[in-house]
Amino acid sequence: MLRGKMGPAVQKSIEILFTLGEIYNAQGMIPVDNVHMPGSSVVVAGDAGTEFVEEMADTKVAFKTRTTLNPAAIDFVRWKEIGIPDAYVEKQKKLSQAYQSMGAILSHTCTPYLAGNLPRIGEHVSWGESSAISFVNSVLGARTNREGGPSALASAITGRTPLYGLHLDENRKPRLLVKVSARLSSITDYGALGYYVGGVCKGENPLFTGIPAVASIDDLKMLGAALASSGSVALYHIRDITPEAKWAEEVSAKEKLKEVVEFGDAELKKAYEDLSKTQTDEIDVVCIGCPHNSIYEIGHIASLLKSREVSSNVRLWVCTSHSVKSDSDRMGYTRIIEQAGGIFMCDTCPVLSPVKEIAKRDSLKTIATNSAKLAHYAPGQCNLHPRYGTLENCISAAVFGRWK
Amino acid sequence: MEVVLPEIVLRGHRVVKGKAEAEAIVTRDSISFMGGVDPTTGTITESGSELEGEKISGKILVFPGGKGSTGGSYMLYDMAKRGTGPRGIVNVRTDSIVAMGAVMGNIPTVDQLEKNPFEVIRTGDYVIVDGDSGTVRIRKD
Repeated sequence: MLRGKMGPAVQKSIEILFTLGEIYNAQGMIPVDNVHMPGSSVVVAGDAGTEFVEEMADTKVAFKTRTTLNPAAIDFVRWKEIGIPDAYVEKQKKLSQAYQSMGAILSHTCTPYLAGNLPRIGEHVSWGESSAISFVNSVLGARTNREGGPSALASAITGRTPLYGLHLDENRKPRLLVKVSARLSSITDYGALGYYVGGVCKGENPLFTGIPAVASIDDLKMLGAALASSGSVALYHIRDITPEAKWAEEVSAKEKLKEVVEFGDAELKKAYEDLSKTQTDEIDVVCIGCPHNSIYEIGHIASLLKSREVSSNVRLWVCTSHSVKSDSDRMGYTRIIEQAGGIFMCDTCPVLSPVKEIAKRDSLKTIATNSAKLAHYAPGQCNLHPRYGTLENCISAAVFGRWK
Repeated sequence: MEVVLPEIVLRGHRVVKGKAEAEAIVTRDSISFMGGVDPTTGTITESGSELEGEKISGKILVFPGGKGSTGGSYMLYDMAKRGTGPRGIVNVRTDSIVAMGAVMGNIPTVDQLEKNPFEVIRTGDYVIVDGDSGTVRIRKD
């Protein structure tokens, strides 16, 4: 592969993987058959990354792995309605086509595990998207490092990844204990927990105790997304819940793990306060679905919006994958949400689309969300100041145009 | 007459080859190059970050390592190509996202110095990053 006998794209890819392996003192290369591709949006790939991907596609190389795509910069159907500038549409279509021509599935979602890409326990994969990485490592027990666009692309082209980091047992051990005594009663509480812990644990793998056994997939999705936004956590364990937790507890007992982070009511309150970066009550945008909504979350939004109307001063964005949206259509949720004035944003989200330009053009200043990840990125990435609260708070803000 | 400044030399670990020298800009906060930096201007945009509003373009950027979005690799690469990126990087430990961006953008990078970089390097120091030998030279006024 290195000598270029398999074409320039394979040669460049294996060079990238060798360089990465050298930096991290990898034990060699291992085969992978599953890639989730970051840098699927032109906003993320930038001109340089987009050109790089398109050059690879121009060589007619074919992906060796199952490959799903992270969100794009546009909703391919409703981009006009959402107000995404025309300039991004052609660029994004070209980039998506380049990925598709190499063999990627046009999933364009940050929750590929809700849309058909579900690695098994112990499977070595090469995934991008910080929230999805933490989900597959922690909740599914698959193994991936935090892959950026170039290395994920190189893995898809070669079917290889360097053997280091989270592919090895040694680096999957817990490094600090998090004792949760606060009562967690909504996905927003899980987001607050993740945001707080991500900020204090310096990328080390946490082992949580005190999280209720009823924690749902949606709760864990929010926890992991927040952990990976305020910090660089790519793997967490939860007593009695995650698949490697029993092993992690044995390790923790054997190695007498001492560093303990307490998360009680005071820390929960502080996390909510830190995530609400504005005290303004006027709300311009309400966004639900970062990471992309599951069908259950959309059902919940629909139940809260039934026979109500979104204020004319507010845009309510509901973000999800195209595949979950088609279930929502069948269930009648889409009709309820759209009749109330909500707008579906499929294939994309405010973090990965040019919302900063939309905000500037339309003088949007504030955003209400139940996502700790979005609240974290909104000021820097969208130039919108967040209010953080439960889905009920957010829908009420959408209806009344004010935070209550 | 040429003024020779006292120089501190620290050994570390090679991440990305090449040599770069410039004024240092130092932060103890981890950085997400996607969502935390404006690639068109090279300005840190993360709310609450020590360097919020500061420009990192053309500087030797000293920070603990990357965090957050995996989009950071392409963003750092994009900044390098636009000329808005840092000239060199010194990390406590370079994470895979920053490493990949620095490799693509040819930004000389060294990590794991023999001394805590935050105790030795201050913003404004003149720093030479040598990614070939894995050393960092620091000149103070």
